[in-house]
Amino acid sequence: MPLAAQALLPFLALLGAAAIAQRRPRRASNGWIAVAATGVAGIIALVELLRLAPGEHVDVPYLTTFPYADLAIRLDGLSLAFATVTLITAALLMLARLRLRGDRRDPWISWLLTAAAACAVIFAHNLLLLYIALQLLTLAWSGALDETSRRRRGLRLSVQVADIGLLLAAASAIQSVGTSAFSGVPSDTFGLPTFLLVLLPVVVRVAAVALTTGGPPAAVAFEPAIVWLAPAGYLLMRMLALMGGRLPDRPTAVVLFAAATLAALAMAGLALVERSGAHRVALLLVAHAALALALSTGADPLMTVACTWLWLLLVPLAGVASVRAAAGSAPEILTPLNLAMIPGSTAFVGLWLGGLALNARGLLFGTIPVAVAVALSAIAALGRVARPRSLHLDPPTFWAAGLLLIAAFPVVVMDHLVVPAAATVRLVPTGTIVASPFGIIAGGRPWPALVVSLVVVLLLGLAAWRLGLKAPTLPSLKGRGKIKAPTLPALPTVPPWGRFVLWGAFAVAVYNVLTRP
Amino acid sequence: MILYLPAALFFVSLLMAYGSAGRRRQAATIGALAAAAWSLALLVDPGSVAWAIGPMVASLLLARTGKRLNSSFEGLTRRVATIVAALLVALLLAARLPVGENPLLLSAVPWFLGALGAAWFASPIDQPERLQGQVLMVAAAAAVILAAVPAGPVTASLAGAMALVPLAGDRWRLPGRLQLPFSLTLLALAIVAVVVAGIGPSIARIVLFDFSVDVSGVILLAIAVLLAAGAALTPIGSEWAALPGVLAVSATAPGLRWAALGALIAVATVLAKEGEHLAWIAFATLGLTPVLQGVATSTSTSTIRVQAVALGLGLVLMVLASRAGVIRVLVLPATGFLVMLALASVASPNLVRLQWIAALGAVLLVARMVLAWLIDRGGRISIVRDQLLFALLLLAISARDSLGLGALAAALLFIDLAVVRIEVMPERWSGTAARLVLLARSNWPPAVTFAGASLAVIAALQASLALGLLAALLLAGLQLAPLLDGHTLAASPERPRSALRWVSPALSIACGVAPALLLRMLRL
Repeated sequence: MPLAAQALLPFLALLGAAAIAQRRPRRASNGWIAVAATGVAGIIALVELLRLAPGEHVDVPYLTTFPYADLAIRLDGLSLAFATVTLITAALLMLARLRLRGDRRDPWISWLLTAAAACAVIFAHNLLLLYIALQLLTLAWSGALDETSRRRRGLRLSVQVADIGLLLAAASAIQSVGTSAFSGVPSDTFGLPTFLLVLLPVVVRVAAVALTTGGPPAAVAFEPAIVWLAPAGYLLMRMLALMGGRLPDRPTAVVLFAAATLAALAMAGLALVERSGAHRVALLLVAHAALALALSTGADPLMTVACTWLWLLLVPLAGVASVRAAAGSAPEILTPLNLAMIPGSTAFVGLWLGGLALNARGLLFGTIPVAVAVALSAIAALGRVARPRSLHLDPPTFWAAGLLLIAAFPVVVMDHLVVPAAATVRLVPTGTIVASPFGIIAGGRPWPALVVSLVVVLLLGLAAWRLGLKAPTLPSLKGRGKIKAPTLPALPTVPPWGRFVLWGAFAVAVYNVLTRP
Repeated sequence: MILYLPAALFFVSLLMAYGSAGRRRQAATIGALAAAAWSLALLVDPGSVAWAIGPMVASLLLARTGKRLNSSFEGLTRRVATIVAALLVALLLAARLPVGENPLLLSAVPWFLGALGAAWFASPIDQPERLQGQVLMVAAAAAVILAAVPAGPVTASLAGAMALVPLAGDRWRLPGRLQLPFSLTLLALAIVAVVVAGIGPSIARIVLFDFSVDVSGVILLAIAVLLAAGAALTPIGSEWAALPGVLAVSATAPGLRWAALGALIAVATVLAKEGEHLAWIAFATLGLTPVLQGVATSTSTSTIRVQAVALGLGLVLMVLASRAGVIRVLVLPATGFLVMLALASVASPNLVRLQWIAALGAVLLVARMVLAWLIDRGGRISIVRDQLLFALLLLAISARDSLGLGALAAALLFIDLAVVRIEVMPERWSGTAARLVLLARSNWPPAVTFAGASLAVIAALQASLALGLLAALLLAGLQLAPLLDGHTLAASPERPRSALRWVSPALSIACGVAPALLLRMLRL
């Protein structure tokens, strides 16, 4: 099959399923069709990733409909890894939703279109197309074809306005080198302002995770993983890839590392005092993302692998955390274990790699705030864990357990998912990371992942089942001394002659333009 | 001595026109026109006298009652003050923009004719006088430009014939049975223009005697936009009003081009008076540019600087005038495309001047909107989205980047503002049709608004960082505008329900999906 057709297969699967669901509304089989189509799309992306040679990238052009935004697909390690993870997470979310009873809403078309739009974001071939795809993604998740619609208006508009940063970055690239295509932009094209402009949509999306859990908790939330964190992570990693895997200068990296670590500390601290389970999970996810952002500031291969690991594994973690677990079920303990960022969780592998990279550069003290954030997260996540009363073998249980297994056997994803993605961002020399079924060796230091996972599981099991230990929790801040929001003073009324002043000012300005040399 | 006779004839006619009524006044008006024709014959060549045919026929057709109308003291004072001020301005302009080595009183006569028209338009004693004022303004614009940039007799007569258009706009409507076929013909011609611009061979110009029209890519695109807007959005029976617009963008002779634009403004303001004064001031400002170009060799180089400023200022004023009605549907795109064509000859330092004025205009648009709201909270406020799109349009036109994105963004925004964002009639859409219309009028991709606004930001950044940031701020405001506007669109005269109501959404989606095809048409 020609490559041009292969690259379209994930889109065809998703859009085809959406078309079928559209034509046969409210059929019970629509959910299965959606799951199958999304899963197939994810598997196609995975197959393409496995077929890709190390360091290879393929640009598949189709049409030039928008100037400087050729309708083209970019297939490389980064895009395929993110597409695989995102689509498989989306399929798992759909499966979890399918297993729910009692909810008669039919979200399949919206979810399929959102998954297709997220896929478009990830496969976009240039910055301008990426901006267009992000707009389509916003349209897909919000469903706000009518722009006056009140549904989640503030969030939608914030995201739209923040995305203008990406448009300006694309314009800057077009101005500098005549294109915004990922293949054609030299690594020195983007400076600090452009990087900060692109960081804006990333930060807004990460913040959206914390802000979108305020309403009544949905049984399965599609957005945190697919709409917010996957595009945010991809956008940041793609920008780093365009910049040659490093930030413009060292001070920027230091400031960004400090800011992101402080944000992680703040989020973990807030999670500690948060009573609402959904909010706590969201805050922990944001803390996780903030640490991933902090490690994205590094300029060496190990750090790049670390942040790629964190961003990639954050997507399925956010997915499983977005499925409401029944009280006393297995996911109620497995998901907090993943969120805790303790040894034995997926996040810790990334943090360990990051710590090694910092140590290698003599910056071990940089791990101190990271360690504090991890400790706070662990207390917040595990503080309210209750002993499971039953063990149902449902999708969230498998999913959460699967993530713990990935932490125990990092080899499963390291060689074929994380390293190819990281190698797209910057060159990762062979031997930087050696993965085996028992653990990984990076920078000459081994990480016995399997042994650590077993020990942690044993310890936690012992603590929960025998000793009945419970981590300390702090009282919630809610309800204490509510801060009164300041009210803006009423705007003054302007007298009618204000118009003449305005026109006079305009006339003076035009006169100045006319007479300037 | 003979060189001063046209001026003498003009002033005698002027006094007679103000002091009499009925046929005597009609004769005096024709006398003023004859004076201008005489002056033109002496300034340029006798063939230019053909210009006078059109305005004279128009004046003959504008019959007036023989009875003098009562005039109050205030009215009389206002009329006298207006004509004196207008004549002084005309004299000043004639003195500053001399044609060759001719005496001032000779070269000033066409300017005086314009002053007379402006005075009658600004302080009319009745409706026919207002219409006569418009006729004289169009005729005078043609005469002044013909004096500065001479043309052959055919072109001169056509330029003069434009003075008949205001009269036609006031009195003539297409018969009912011809309206739909005529609209469909205009649409078919628009499609032909698009096809020729997109895939056809490059045609430089079409010449007939001394009259020639330019049909390059950008002009064909302008023609297509004007024809589509004329077919789908003009008031019933006035679909033909698109034709002067087509002539304005395609004629190569400046005299004919600007006279056609004046005629178009006259038709537009006959049909809807909102913003008419600003539109005529904008026309006068823009009309100065060919005159400045014509006299540039004989005066200092500062005329080139003034020319750039006049272009920018005229554009800003026209945008400010184009809130609704035919001014917005036809005059705005015609003027915009004309300015885009004129920009090609502006040198870089003066282009910066124009960009400054465009940026000031963009700020003025927003400030005026905010100020209007602060002055009268309960009054009718402008449509925020429209104002922001107008501001982006100004930035896009002024960008003139090497990639052609500014021109493309401007073309897309013209389509958006003149064709898509007009409420033809309050319709109740439902189902898929409602969703399509919502999408077509939204800021989402693939609507034309999204494409035009995004490209405007990119183009503005190509021009300068300040313009780019201003455009980005406007785009951010555009995302928030639906909160303030709701579904409000600019009002337009109601039209009967027909398949033509689909023109706007279809154009929006087509242009939003494939703006690169438009870029190809622009052939930049």
